[in-house]
Amino acid sequence: MPILNSVYRHREAGHVLTDVAAYREAGGFDALHTALGDMEPDDLLYVFHRSGLRGRGGAGFPMGRKASFLPKDAKLAKYVVCNADESEPGTFKDREIIQMNPFQLIEGIVLAGYAIGAERGYIYIRGEYEFQARILQAAIAAARDAGFLGTDIARSGFTFDITLYRGAGAYICGEETGLLESLEGKRGQPRLKPPFPAVAGLYSSPTLINNVETLSALPPIVTRGADWYAALGPEKSPGSKIFSVSGHVTRPGNYEIILGQTTLRELIFEHAGGVRDGRRVKAIWVGGSSVPVLGEQHLDTPLDYESLNAVGTFLGSGGCIVMDDSGCIVRSTLRLASFYKHESCGKCTPCREGTTWMERILQRIVDGEGRMEDLQLLESIFGRISGKVLCALAEGAVAPISSAIKLFREDFVAAIEQGGALRPEPMWPEAPAEAR
Amino acid sequence: MTADQIRAHIDPIRHEFAEPRSLVLPALKFAQTEKGHLTREDLEAVSAATGFSAAFVESVASFYDRLYLEPTGTRVVSVCVTLSCMLRGADEVWERLCDREGVSHHGGTTGDGRITIQEAQCLGYCDRAPCIQVDADETVGPMTPESAGQLVDDLRVAPAPDEFWR
Repeated sequence: MPILNSVYRHREAGHVLTDVAAYREAGGFDALHTALGDMEPDDLLYVFHRSGLRGRGGAGFPMGRKASFLPKDAKLAKYVVCNADESEPGTFKDREIIQMNPFQLIEGIVLAGYAIGAERGYIYIRGEYEFQARILQAAIAAARDAGFLGTDIARSGFTFDITLYRGAGAYICGEETGLLESLEGKRGQPRLKPPFPAVAGLYSSPTLINNVETLSALPPIVTRGADWYAALGPEKSPGSKIFSVSGHVTRPGNYEIILGQTTLRELIFEHAGGVRDGRRVKAIWVGGSSVPVLGEQHLDTPLDYESLNAVGTFLGSGGCIVMDDSGCIVRSTLRLASFYKHESCGKCTPCREGTTWMERILQRIVDGEGRMEDLQLLESIFGRISGKVLCALAEGAVAPISSAIKLFREDFVAAIEQGGALRPEPMWPEAPAEAR
Repeated sequence: MTADQIRAHIDPIRHEFAEPRSLVLPALKFAQTEKGHLTREDLEAVSAATGFSAAFVESVASFYDRLYLEPTGTRVVSVCVTLSCMLRGADEVWERLCDREGVSHHGGTTGDGRITIQEAQCLGYCDRAPCIQVDADETVGPMTPESAGQLVDDLRVAPAPDEFWR
């Protein structure tokens, strides 16, 4: 169960790295000097490509390949956009990077900008992260003062700067084209693809969009080499990945592990402290809430993209939500349905109407007004949403519901037959006696 | 807020964007800091400062949860009710806070106009579930029904912030 704190360099260092000197001390900006001093942009792009790094925001698309889709000869300006709209339920890994190790993100963005020939990067941060935004804003200013942003970075002749852009509360702005719309000052409603952002992104210019964790993984890849990274874990899923573990575990938190070398059981029981004594794991949403749910029988699955696909789910954002056998799968599924209904942007009718109906039907099952036909009715709605929408939100709404009905059908049947689903006692956090 | 105040805020960052439309969201967020919500006059001031129609500006403002087009309490208390927090007692925190403050289980503003209580979708603090965010301050947790009540009592006697970032 190896831990590798290469993105969480502050954990390796043992203290927060929120000033330039501390980050330098921990090897920070070495990658920038190496890349800008000794490498051509295409060589750097090739390093990203060879590392095998995949997008850590949820989709898992190879980062180097995505960057290589940007046209080389474009006369238009090019942009790097960092997706810091961390809103996937159960995911809180980027928050720690921004708060504890912001310069590694900044360094990663500059590296990406150099590789694709951009002069400006944007960090789109969710409005609820105002506290983190202020830390990041200060870090950007400090990096500029130290000569790591602005004109002639590290005397290389390369000019690049970063703008921090604050969202205002909308999950859909984490979808890459919804994010671009919002960054252009509009309602954050996703666009039809193609064209993909690499060709026509921000202001219709070629744009590379990556998650905070993906970009923060770049500096160690440059300093230690693509071969080092590619050799970590399985061939198709190399590197480290941060899992945020929450729900019914005794040590909720972030854990940066090497892919393929840790099982779900080790993540939950050895790192996150396991479920309470006398309890068993009932359900696991391993990659945020937008993925098919797993059960106790899947605990020995290794954590990497392919192994999780083989058991029918996705690694996603790494937001691992655990529910023990005190929880109610019907109520938990309803709660996720309510989330997607609230966050549907309303642009595509199948999503807007479908998420509303899925919530209503699940609500009546929970309330004791469910009918056995409701399960077939739900299943008929899944097929009317999937593949008929512009973005992944609706697919993410269907996945946890359809999988729960498949894996835990008897629980849904019981709720219908027994007149509803009772609310279980929650797992209260450890708190001082006087606070209770 | 006046168009001139908004211009003073966005003019220094204007060069950072290839298209001025990108200034609409920062302008709206800044305009809201004065009263904690956006009035018709605020939307028109944003329109004048950015050069986009008031109808467009309103269409943007109405999209985002954290832009308020109706008056709120002095402080807005967001209780996360998404899955990780629910498993840790968010529903109990939410309902008891609503009952204590005399608002319905759909949320609302207290009779004294001091506090608006609203449900929030995942705030990204699942390791501190159940969690609560006041305006856009740092999210706090883990909460209990009692500590949530205490938090509201403390807010009631605290001075109103100079600027409403929410």
